[in-house]
Amino acid sequence: MQLLLVGVSHRTAPIELRERLDFSARGVDRALTALSNVAAQHEATIVSTCNRVELYVGCDDPDVARSAIQAFLAEFHGIPDDQLAPHIYAKTGQDAVTHLFRVASGLDSLVMGEPQIFGQVKEAFSVASEMGCTGSMLNKLFHSAFAAGKRVRTETPLSEGAVSVSYAAVELARKIFGDLKGRAVLVLGAGEMGKLTAIHMQSQGIGRLIITSRTAAHATALAESIGGTAIAWESLNTGLVEADILITATGASVPIISHALISQTMKARRQRPLFVIDIAVPRDVEASAGDLEQVFLYNIDDLQAVVQENISKRGTAASDAERIVAQEAGKFLGWLNSRGAVPTIVALRQRFEAIRQSELRRLEPKLASLPPEARARVEEVTRLILEKLLISPTEQLKAASDADTVAAYSDALNRLFGLTSDDAADDGSLTTAGSGRSSKKPAQ
Amino acid sequence: MNVLLLLLYTAASVAYAVQFARRTFGTNRAATVLLVLVAFAHTFVIGMETMRAGHVPSSTATTAISTFVWLLALSYLYLELTTGERAMGVFILPLLVALQAIPTFGGSFSEPRSAMLESPWFGVHVSSLLFAYASFALAGVLGITYVLQFKEIKAKDLGFFYDRLPSLNVLDEMNLRAVKIGWLFLTVGLITGGIWASQLQPSASSAPSSMSMADPKIFVAVLCWAVYSFELYAQRAIGWRGRRAAWLSAVGFGIVLLNFVPVSYFFTTSHNF
Repeated sequence: MQLLLVGVSHRTAPIELRERLDFSARGVDRALTALSNVAAQHEATIVSTCNRVELYVGCDDPDVARSAIQAFLAEFHGIPDDQLAPHIYAKTGQDAVTHLFRVASGLDSLVMGEPQIFGQVKEAFSVASEMGCTGSMLNKLFHSAFAAGKRVRTETPLSEGAVSVSYAAVELARKIFGDLKGRAVLVLGAGEMGKLTAIHMQSQGIGRLIITSRTAAHATALAESIGGTAIAWESLNTGLVEADILITATGASVPIISHALISQTMKARRQRPLFVIDIAVPRDVEASAGDLEQVFLYNIDDLQAVVQENISKRGTAASDAERIVAQEAGKFLGWLNSRGAVPTIVALRQRFEAIRQSELRRLEPKLASLPPEARARVEEVTRLILEKLLISPTEQLKAASDADTVAAYSDALNRLFGLTSDDAADDGSLTTAGSGRSSKKPAQ
Repeated sequence: MNVLLLLLYTAASVAYAVQFARRTFGTNRAATVLLVLVAFAHTFVIGMETMRAGHVPSSTATTAISTFVWLLALSYLYLELTTGERAMGVFILPLLVALQAIPTFGGSFSEPRSAMLESPWFGVHVSSLLFAYASFALAGVLGITYVLQFKEIKAKDLGFFYDRLPSLNVLDEMNLRAVKIGWLFLTVGLITGGIWASQLQPSASSAPSSMSMADPKIFVAVLCWAVYSFELYAQRAIGWRGRRAAWLSAVGFGIVLLNFVPVSYFFTTSHNF
């Protein structure tokens, strides 16, 4: 069985096409059911996110399977083949393995190292596996991909550091306050940026979200839509005393929060730390307020600089991540190739056993005169001789991890011992068809 | 024995430096496991010494330092294992190595036992103070790390320490907790020291006369007490948390170190333990 990947991603297809190809709208389970009617494949998993649609299948003939799957995609989504074909990529063997491992590690993501994709791949696999669409190859493949993803996450800083302004603000807040549970956040202005940052803060389990705006109705509307308390613009000072984090995002043309106001507030707050996120342009908070003890003031440019820094750090981490992916892919390919040797081992054992049986039958008349214990001894001794003879070749075959070695060994054994294997042409390895010989049946 | 401990502490120190730079699962665990082993070894050495001498080795400056190193290593391990924060290790371990070098090259582990040190008050006095100093050492390191990270966040230059240290709030709270515990033990240590000295007054003749504020060691200890009392007071009364408390902890620990090493060796005449 061979591994084949057919798909589109943000690297090859525009958003319009990806939207139409996204399986999640109509249900991946339905797609898997429909796909199971495509005869060319035995195992399948569909990874479908807004940035990529990828089908991983185990098949006998990648060329046949590729066109069948492409036709399936066109038919299932109702997209003319000529529109689809230029954006599709297909990979087999090592390329497909490496591709999946890179995807699971976040190396192939639009935002390098973003962690969601790992969960999405996991979800995709569990759907396919629950529906019984995966077999031993895809099971091992995806579990190896998860292992690679985990290693990348724990051994490299690829997914560290916020790469969006609002998340950078959350990360800074956590570096100042630790846990954000129970903290109070005050949002000034009901604009989109303020809302986005407030939502990010909320996902950290903050205790209280207070919203105020010059136009009371805007504040109330925002408070209702994301869940918070609106207060009157006039009670800004009370809000400031209560808040741990202040997000300002108003459209005011001059700073509305002065150094003096914050200084005065800090006294009332008994110098509790205050994190001020000024994402308004022009700025809402006087820059000198950042000089106050226990006031941490970041404006939009500061946050963007943090984001830029993080992006470049991820870039540096990528080479380490690629190395891990290559290692893990190598391990998986080793497993897959050694699996290709199993049929040869089985055939060799059967051949030896057949010889033993026929010799025992030939000697039957002579052995018949022996007492039963002696006959049992003959039986045992001949069996042990076979076992001993087979130990070394079995180990050597299992230890061979690259496809060429496995193929060469298998070929040699087939010729030397005249193993009849014409009936078993299926190939368990990932290299070109015919490099190994095997039967579809797994080892006993 | 002390040389071996010194080597072990040095190895652990290197392990913590490596884990601080790399921060991988393997280096993290290697550092912790190594330090746990060193702490076990040190516990064993101190246990043997205690059995041999019949008391915890603490009545000369050199042996007290080794006991202090042991206490500090255990306190740090407690902190690390309960909070999961390893970042302080890279600061604590070199301190342990430096202090452990003193008994290693400065004197022998076995100690003469004078009669005036037999009082139970003395035992309480010394062990409270050693424990207090261990807490202050942790507080001092927490204070220094707070300031380092505070500077990076204020300067909007999020770099080396930002990536590695726990949040400012956590550092601040751990600092204050360590100071509170240290202050409590320092107070107990000073009071029992006073009681012990006053009990000696009628019987002994030479030592007690110098047991007053004029003794540099006592003077510095009282100074420490004043600094830490102020830190705790300022924190409650005028909101001196964060950077100011961090600085006070760092300064306070500077004074503690002063008391430990130069004062013990060069200035004090009678109070040489």
